[in-house]
Amino acid sequence: MEAPAERGSDAPGTGYAIEAVDIVKRYGQVEALSGATLRVRPGEVLALVGDNGAGKSTLAKVICGAVAPDGGHLAFWGRPVAVSSIRQAQELGVETVYQDLALAPDLSVAENLFLGREPLRAGAWAGPLRRLDRAGMREAAQAAVDGVGLRVPSLDAPVRLLSGGQRQGVAVARAVMWARSAILMDEPTAALGPKQTGIVYDAIVAAAARGLAVVVISHDIPRMLLLAHRIAVLRQGRTVGGGRAADLSLPDVVTMMLGGARRAA
Amino acid sequence: MTAVPLGGLARRLLRSTPVAMALVVVALVLAFGALSPGGAFLRVSNLSTITLNVSVTMLLAVGVTLVMASGELDLSIGANVVLSSVVGAQVLVALSGAPEQVRVGDYPTLPLGIAAGTLAAVLTGAAFGALNGLLVTRLRVNSFIVTLGTMGIGTGLAYVLTGGTNVPHVPRLLQTGFGVERLFGVVPYPMIVVLVISGLLWHLLSSTRFGLRTLAIGSSREAAERAGIRVAPHLLALFTLMGALAGVAAVLDLTRFATTNVGGHQTTALAAIAAVVIGGTSLFGGRASVAGSMVASLIPVVLATGLVILGVQAFWQLIVVGVILIAAVALDQRRRERLL
Repeated sequence: MEAPAERGSDAPGTGYAIEAVDIVKRYGQVEALSGATLRVRPGEVLALVGDNGAGKSTLAKVICGAVAPDGGHLAFWGRPVAVSSIRQAQELGVETVYQDLALAPDLSVAENLFLGREPLRAGAWAGPLRRLDRAGMREAAQAAVDGVGLRVPSLDAPVRLLSGGQRQGVAVARAVMWARSAILMDEPTAALGPKQTGIVYDAIVAAAARGLAVVVISHDIPRMLLLAHRIAVLRQGRTVGGGRAADLSLPDVVTMMLGGARRAA
Repeated sequence: MTAVPLGGLARRLLRSTPVAMALVVVALVLAFGALSPGGAFLRVSNLSTITLNVSVTMLLAVGVTLVMASGELDLSIGANVVLSSVVGAQVLVALSGAPEQVRVGDYPTLPLGIAAGTLAAVLTGAAFGALNGLLVTRLRVNSFIVTLGTMGIGTGLAYVLTGGTNVPHVPRLLQTGFGVERLFGVVPYPMIVVLVISGLLWHLLSSTRFGLRTLAIGSSREAAERAGIRVAPHLLALFTLMGALAGVAAVLDLTRFATTNVGGHQTTALAAIAAVVIGGTSLFGGRASVAGSMVASLIPVVLATGLVILGVQAFWQLIVVGVILIAAVALDQRRRERLL
C-alpha cells in the first residue's frame, strides 16, 4: 500500500483508493443493486446521491463489508479484494459512519472509539485476563475528539447521555481516527443542526486533505455540489451518471436522479 | 443534618447499587443482631453458616451477571447444577474403588475419583452451557426460550441417568474434609472458592477486552457487530463459562451434602437472576455489576436466617425478596428513563 503522503496527491490519473464495479445485490426477489459503479481517488470527496431506495446505503454496505455482493468487482488500491466482513474492510483501512451511528449507548465515549480494537496493558495478567489500557484509550480518544472539533462533557460519560450531534461527532471521530484509506459516511448530517453539520463537513474536508478517499451519501445536494469533488448518481440500483461537481448544477443532478442520464461517474 | 445533604447522599447511593445493597445487608445484619435473643444472629458460627448457605447462589449469580451483561439469560443453570452433580458423582464413585468396596465405604482410589469427578462435573456443566450457546447463536432462538427448554432437558437427563434416585455411596470425606470445613474455623472452604472465582470474573467484566465486548454486545448488538466483534463466538464463550460455573457449583454442592439432589435447584436460576437484578445489572444488558450481584445474593439468606432466629416464619423471606426485586427493577427503569 502507498504511504499516506503519496496518497495525498490527488491529481487525476493516480490509482483509485476504492473501485466498486457493476455491483449487484439481491434481497430475495428485490434487486437492490443491479450494476452500481463507484470509483474514488485518494484525497477525493465523492458524493453518492440518489432518491430513496436507489441503493446508496446498500452500495456503502457492500464496500464496508457489512453486506456480501451477489456480483461485481471490488478493488482497493488497484488490488481486487472480496471483502467478506467489516473486520476485513477495517483492516484495509476503510471506516464507516453508519446512518444509525452504530454506537453502544451504555459504553463511554472512549470505549466506543476503541470498541473492537481495544489496546491492552502489559502487566501481571495474561491471556484473556489482560487489562485494557484505559489511560491510553482516554488519551487517544481525547486527541480524536479534539481532532474533529467535538466537545463532549466527559470521555467517560456513556454515549446515551450525549446529544444527537455529539453522538454523530463520536461516530465521525471514530471513523477519522481509524481510517487509513477511505471513509464512508451514510447521511452523516441528516439529524443535525447547522453548527454540528458544519463540524461534520469540516471533518470530511480534513479527512480528504489527509489523503483519505471519502464517500458521502447525502440528500443535501446543493451542499454536496460545493463540498464534493465529484458526484455519482444512483437510480434503481444502477449508477446513472455523475461527474465533477464543478461541472454540474443542481438541476443536472436532479434530472439524473429522476430520469435522464448524463456523463459517466 | 439537613434534608438537602441527605437527599444528595441518598441519590448518590442509589446511583451506586452495590453500595446501596451493601448498606441494606449491613442494616439487616445489625437489625437482626439487635433483635435476636442474646445477639445470637451476630455469632461467628451463624455468620459463617450464612456465607456457606449463600456460596452456590453467589457463584451462579456472578456467572449470570456476565450472561445478562450481554443481554442474554440462562434459566437452565439449576438443571445444569443437578445434571453436572449427577455426572460428577457417578464418575467419582465409579473411580474411587470397586463397587463392592465403595458399597461398604472403602475408597482405595479416592484421589483419582475426586479429581475425575470434579473434572467430569465441570466439563458436563461447560458442555451443557456450550449447548445453550450453540442453540442461541446457531438457531437464533431467544436465550429465554432456549434455556427454558434446556432446563427441562437437563433435569430430564439427570433423572434418566439416575433413574430418579440420588447417586449412592458418595464419600462422606468430601463433606468433612472440605464442604463444611472452615478456614480458621470461620470462612467455609466453598466460600473461598466462590470468592476467588468471583474476583477473577469481576476483573474479567470490568477490566478486560472480553468484559468490555460483553457489555457492548448487551448495549447494542448491532454496534458490536459493526465494530468488527464476532458476536456469536463471544456469546458461545459466555454460555460455556456460565455452564462451567454451574459445574463448579455442582462440585461445591456435592462436597457440602455428600449426595446429589436430583429434585433440587428448581428455583436456583430465578434466585440467581433476582440477585443479579437487585444488584444493579440491567435486564436488557449493557450495564452490569459483579459486586452488586455478590452483595444482593446475601439478602435472601440473611433474611431467612434472621427470621428463623427471631421465630418468624422463614417464608416471609420470599415475600420480602419479591418486593425488593420489583422495587429494584422499577428503580432501574427510572434510571434508564432519566438517562435517555
